[in-house]
Amino acid sequence: MAGSGTAHLRGRDDVILRVQNLVMEFPTGRHQVVHAVSNLSFDIRRGETLGIVGESGCGKSTTARAVVQLPPPISGQVTLSPETEDAVELTALEGERLRQVRPRIQMIFQDPISSLNPRRVVHDIVEEGLHIWPERLQGQDIQAKVDEVLESVGIDSVVATNRRPHEFSGGQCQRISIARAVVLEPEILICDEPVSALDVSIQAQILDLLQEMKDRYGLTLIFISHDLAVVRNVSDRVIVMYLGKVCEVGDADALYSAPAHPYTRVLLASAPEPAKNVSGVEAAIGDEIPSPLAPPSGCRFRTRCPRAEIRCAEEEPVISAIEDDHFVACHFPILNGKQRE
Amino acid sequence: MSDQKQLFKGKTAADRISAQGSDQLSLPRLGFTFWIAISWMVLVIVAAIVAPLLPIADPEEIGVGPRTQGPSWDNWFGTDSNGRDVFSRTIWGARISLVVGFFSIVAGFLIGGTMGVVGGYRRGWTDQALGFIVFVLLSFPVIILFLLISNIVGQGLWEVSIALSIVVVPSVARLARAITITFAEREFVAAARILGATNRRVMVKEILPNVLIPMSALLLLGLGLTIVAEGGLAFLGLSVADGFSWGKMIQLGAAPRTLQTAPWVAFFPIGAMFFTVLSLNWAGDRLRQHFDIRELGIGGR
Amino acid sequence: MSGALLTVQDLSVGFLTEQGLVRAVEGVSFVLEPGQTLGVVGESGSGKSVTAKALMNLLPSYSQISGNVNFGNRDLFSMAASREKHFWGVEMAMVFQDPMTSLNPVKKVGEQIAESLRVHLNRNRHQALAEAGDLLEQVGIPEPGKRLTQYPHELSGGLRQRVVIAIALACGPRLLIADEPTTALDVTVQKHILDLLDELRRDRGMAMILITHDLGVVKGRTDEVMVMYAGHTVEKSPTGTLFAEMRHPYTEALLETIPRIDTPKHSRLIPIPGRPPEVIEVLPGCAYAPRCRYSIKSCLNEQPGLKSHSAGHHCACHAPVGTPSGMEARAANEAAGITVAGLDMSQFSGIEDKAEEKRSGGED
Repeated sequence: MAGSGTAHLRGRDDVILRVQNLVMEFPTGRHQVVHAVSNLSFDIRRGETLGIVGESGCGKSTTARAVVQLPPPISGQVTLSPETEDAVELTALEGERLRQVRPRIQMIFQDPISSLNPRRVVHDIVEEGLHIWPERLQGQDIQAKVDEVLESVGIDSVVATNRRPHEFSGGQCQRISIARAVVLEPEILICDEPVSALDVSIQAQILDLLQEMKDRYGLTLIFISHDLAVVRNVSDRVIVMYLGKVCEVGDADALYSAPAHPYTRVLLASAPEPAKNVSGVEAAIGDEIPSPLAPPSGCRFRTRCPRAEIRCAEEEPVISAIEDDHFVACHFPILNGKQRE
Repeated sequence: MSDQKQLFKGKTAADRISAQGSDQLSLPRLGFTFWIAISWMVLVIVAAIVAPLLPIADPEEIGVGPRTQGPSWDNWFGTDSNGRDVFSRTIWGARISLVVGFFSIVAGFLIGGTMGVVGGYRRGWTDQALGFIVFVLLSFPVIILFLLISNIVGQGLWEVSIALSIVVVPSVARLARAITITFAEREFVAAARILGATNRRVMVKEILPNVLIPMSALLLLGLGLTIVAEGGLAFLGLSVADGFSWGKMIQLGAAPRTLQTAPWVAFFPIGAMFFTVLSLNWAGDRLRQHFDIRELGIGGR
Repeated sequence: MSGALLTVQDLSVGFLTEQGLVRAVEGVSFVLEPGQTLGVVGESGSGKSVTAKALMNLLPSYSQISGNVNFGNRDLFSMAASREKHFWGVEMAMVFQDPMTSLNPVKKVGEQIAESLRVHLNRNRHQALAEAGDLLEQVGIPEPGKRLTQYPHELSGGLRQRVVIAIALACGPRLLIADEPTTALDVTVQKHILDLLDELRRDRGMAMILITHDLGVVKGRTDEVMVMYAGHTVEKSPTGTLFAEMRHPYTEALLETIPRIDTPKHSRLIPIPGRPPEVIEVLPGCAYAPRCRYSIKSCLNEQPGLKSHSAGHHCACHAPVGTPSGMEARAANEAAGITVAGLDMSQFSGIEDKAEEKRSGGED
């Protein structure tokens, strides 16, 4: 499984973000290192929604933080508009120069309540971006712009003027977070588990809202979630991650209808209402995800993979194409529904 | 199970659930006793400020009343061995006790608070350096510090106040740092940085308002501590040399003979200090509870 | 009825607060036969967890509980009043959502399992630990002997939840209540735990109440499903019937709003407008009316009672889905563009057909 490689990168000029060979590591107290993300690469085209899916410890949230350089990665490159003249390599920037680029990439988080400053009034929270970057207003009045954004996310701006976050529901707080992110009209919006903490009956409202915002402001989305069904629904392209590495990447429908990687198949078969095309898939072996302090050699999934062989321990699989816009990092992928004997 | 009908105040399931809802639940009221405590404080503070204008005896004047006389209609709190009016002295003594107490806690909060917030937010070597300073200050024996200061800079009002504020700084810094760290980890701070706010802006607009609330509740409690600390220093002769505070009065009144023959000389300043500190503790604690529940309602999961 | 394991009649739970009475659960009734599984589905504020805690005698002293609950022929509330010690944890046990907080972090795993055996079944320490080891094996923990002496933080989330299940099963309960047992766990682990619960249930002939917010979890794993909303039971039916022929507008809306793995990308989801009511808001009439596409006038004033539709299928609605009154109400609302409760119907136009496809595609 887990593999490195860049075969799935597209060298087109409408690629708005490229992440190459990203490495994120965190020292623990005892001279050990958590290998959160190892040699990860991906790109996104303008207007695309990229879904990143995986279980806990796979590094998807860490990847999101790395893209916004909070904290900056240990190594690797994150580049905006890489194939154009205005390419900006975020990883090469620091301090004030990095700060100047920030309005272009914004983020919303999983916990709607914790995402908002409890001591500030909602109107102020949404305005904040425009106070920091008044030049983004382009002549419009601050109040008008904030009112417009609040209305577009479905929050009454009159009510928002004097109320604090705890006076709103979880779904409304998430809307406010979206408003705050969108008021600067960024190019990219990263959504880190945006609906996981919300009631099921309002998840669709927020997903719809994100789509609306995407259309209205021409956003490119990175959508991170552990929920396979939600990710398929919102994404154009999907990356499946495990223990800091990419397993499989490709067009959402292609990936879900013909999953090639054993881990992807296991994931799809484990969902409460499993995908129909993966019946008969063996389950992952054991509950224990290996520790990121000492990830397995070669393919990181091999300790739980029902198809693992000796080669998987010795050689890390490289991402390679199996069909049009469908890539997998595995020595023994399942192709066209047929299993290798 | 079903027969008990207690009225439950404060944190109910509804409180926690309402973190997601509208502010239909009002905060627990501060209470009648809170306002009594505040009234006492106001009384003491006002009396201390307007002391020169009050129609009371000159606190230093000897022989205002008969020597060592208990409380009487002429001298409400009695007189000491020099015939000075204890009531007037109690009011005048408040001035130094309160000024030193006030100044040192406010200065301590300002300095310590800034250190804590900056260290807690920036982490890294800034935090380590500030932490080291705090560590050194904490390790320094307080009495020695005051002995040193009294020998070097003298025992003036400001000198003593500043010295006491230095003693306050480390505890405040640690507290402010701990509160800052819990807030700095929250997503709204990350969101502010992602928006492109400078570190200074994040500290002032995002962190500070959240740190101020719990810290200001502790300000009153801290004031009680500094008043008592000043009292202790005065008892040891290390407080303000010129003039007298409650602590000084207690020192004078606690000499063994005086204590036996004229207990009121020590009793009234002790009482004044006791009620003042009690009021501060009570009010401070009620404030702390008041803001604590709101915090739980917002961020608690 | 006499053979039933658990009979719940008109269970209601309220909390008296400074702001008034909070009605968490209102009039919940159901019957559980030995070995049967009931799925309880609901969102926040639905009352599902409070119901479970009421059954387990875990509610705080200021709760007001009314109704009748019988386990076999024993009255639960009188056992609670007389402080019966060897019932909860013995005949009836519970597994909670978060394995991180369900276990005592400073006690070894073996001791925590043994505790139940020593207190309730009077085993001595040696016997209890031996049985604990057996239990760890039964719940599928590899190297059970080694695990006995480990602390909870040394185990992963999935293993911890297995330990919690072992503790619950230690005294051989006849009923296990599992409150969102897999919500805090990863997807692959969820399947293992749910499969484990199925297996244990079958091996022991144990009845189970499985509480969850995820309709997908109850499909295929439960005999009967009870859907709760704002403290009320809105629909109760055998599982297969519920998915094939749901009657309550809320159930229908839930099934239409949840994305499915099998549906292609960018399929439009039908959102349910509004949000579940706060526990403290008490509306006259049906709590779901403000969000309902089928609402009629009586929904605003009159709380609907549970009515029987077919064998074992009950629904609390004035205009249920698929009935003449329901279809009429829906059509009327669509024509008017707005429901009696003020819900704007235009947001649903155009996506109805997609929803039909999804619904029929989702059945097995």
